[in-house]
Amino acid sequence: MAQFSVYRPWVVEPRSAFDELRRDLDAVFGRFGSQAPSVRRGVYPAANLYETTDAYVLTAELPGVSPDQIQISLEGSTVTLHGERKIDYAADMSAHRLERQSGTFRRAFDLPAAVDPDKVEAIHKNGVLELRLPKTPEMQPRQIAVQTG
Amino acid sequence: MSSEVTRAPELQVREKQQIAEEGTRPGAVFRPDVDILEHGDEYLIYADLPGVDEQRVRINLDKRVLSLDAELAADVDPAWSALHTEYHLGGFHREFRLSDEIDAARVSASMRDGVLELRLPKNEAHQSRKIEVRAA
Repeated sequence: MAQFSVYRPWVVEPRSAFDELRRDLDAVFGRFGSQAPSVRRGVYPAANLYETTDAYVLTAELPGVSPDQIQISLEGSTVTLHGERKIDYAADMSAHRLERQSGTFRRAFDLPAAVDPDKVEAIHKNGVLELRLPKTPEMQPRQIAVQTG
Repeated sequence: MSSEVTRAPELQVREKQQIAEEGTRPGAVFRPDVDILEHGDEYLIYADLPGVDEQRVRINLDKRVLSLDAELAADVDPAWSALHTEYHLGGFHREFRLSDEIDAARVSASMRDGVLELRLPKNEAHQSRKIEVRAA
């Protein structure tokens, strides 16, 4: 039987039994609709994944997180972001409203395919992290010239 | 008011709050998360504005009403196709009514890593003054 590779972009660590079940169900029944079913609310940071012809682009909203507080690791096709958002106000300030959160985060993402680890670029600009993950040469589209016989 | 604040050790994503009716501007507009603090004779406002640079923030002060508008510095490259979307892109808008009048001439704003810091000094008339009580 053919093995279908299921695209499950957002893997969260640690993976729960429910996630495993859902993954298995996805593998059996496939996916319906355009929205990936493995979207989990509440996992920080919120991220988007894009595809270009030669790369995947992962963006994450991390306002107030300085670049040195973000650790990025890549293992196979799994990208992990972890770090901390720190908010320190002087003790003599009185707070009228506190909506911004601080704390630690850790999140893993499964990419649809392996990427070239040596060519990954990370840009943190205006509080948005942008990871450019070039596809391995085998995964990139190729032009094949048709020759006349 | 207590300045001691305990915060969650692990961050949770909160969905961006979209503003339903926001005039004629195209695109989505969200309500940014803010912290408002008071320190001596000034208010401090911190607003999370991911994707916004200092060129695209507009702050308007009309007596005690402060309005904040921000637009994204860059849109998504049209050549990128979205595989998965958890957050939507758009501008930000929020208004604040402050309990003291602000000295508009001395308002300062700066941005760092997508967070706006606004320093709003109170008008002289509203500043707290220390009055020494002398023994007769």
